[in-house]
Amino acid sequence: MAARTEHEERTDERVAPVRRTSRHPVATAVSIFGELLITGGLVLGLFVVYSLWWTNVLADREADKQGNTVRDRWAGGPGALDTGDGIGFLHVPAMKNGEVLVKKGTDTETLNNGIAGYYTDPVKSALPSDAQGNFSLAAHRDGHGAKFHNIDKVKKGDAVVFETKDTWYVYKVYAELPETSKFNVDAIAPVPKESGVKKAGRYITLTTCTPVYTSKYRYIVWGELVRTEKVDRDRTKPVELR
Amino acid sequence: MYGWIWRHLPGNAWVRGFISLVLALAVVYALFQYVFPWAEPLLPFGDVTVDGAGTGGAGAGR
Repeated sequence: MAARTEHEERTDERVAPVRRTSRHPVATAVSIFGELLITGGLVLGLFVVYSLWWTNVLADREADKQGNTVRDRWAGGPGALDTGDGIGFLHVPAMKNGEVLVKKGTDTETLNNGIAGYYTDPVKSALPSDAQGNFSLAAHRDGHGAKFHNIDKVKKGDAVVFETKDTWYVYKVYAELPETSKFNVDAIAPVPKESGVKKAGRYITLTTCTPVYTSKYRYIVWGELVRTEKVDRDRTKPVELR
Repeated sequence: MYGWIWRHLPGNAWVRGFISLVLALAVVYALFQYVFPWAEPLLPFGDVTVDGAGTGGAGAGR
């Protein structure tokens, strides 16, 4: 029967290539089903392209724009903490991703701009300038700038530097948690006991999703402030970033 | 389906090919601009915070 259909098709094409009338309905149905499957596959493939490439293009563009706005505001030289368009830039040399603008809030719209956000919910983050507390941040692992993509490259002892308008805050990573539940809110507690510390101090916590390309679990990196440096006229970078 | 579209496009093979290309690009544009941004928050690939409220899975948005 298949051969017959094929034969008919070929005859059809030769005689009247524009109209095919004598195709078996089952053959038509199978053909349409096949085309739908191919289409579905293409759409899923495009979604991967969108997620892993296009959102990065958009987010990096937006992050550059917003970062430049902040740099422009800072152009007058060092001054008091300015939270207008973002509180500062995160530098993690081990992640090799340059500087990441940090703004308030971890909602999707904020993070999708290719920046990192500090938590306001469920546990309010401290600011680096606070006498003690936990400066907790989140950013995307993949897509939308993927600013924390290389979080697994950050090891104990690595430097994490946060740059504000007037101060460099130099943190040192002292613990990491490669996999935890998204319900593990204690990870960003003011004193993150899970990381092994007991006393109040000036901590930084980076959170993102893991494994890569999914968000089944969360990846946590903790650091503790080791020193601060005043920003000078030329914005000389601390030794960790040179 | 695609055969049906092809047969209903006007012009010769070159014109049809060109129109097909334009149609395909329009579809890709619509997907990237409207469909994917809409679908993405519904899928559990981009939740990075520890607050238990992932947008995927239980569908607990904020």
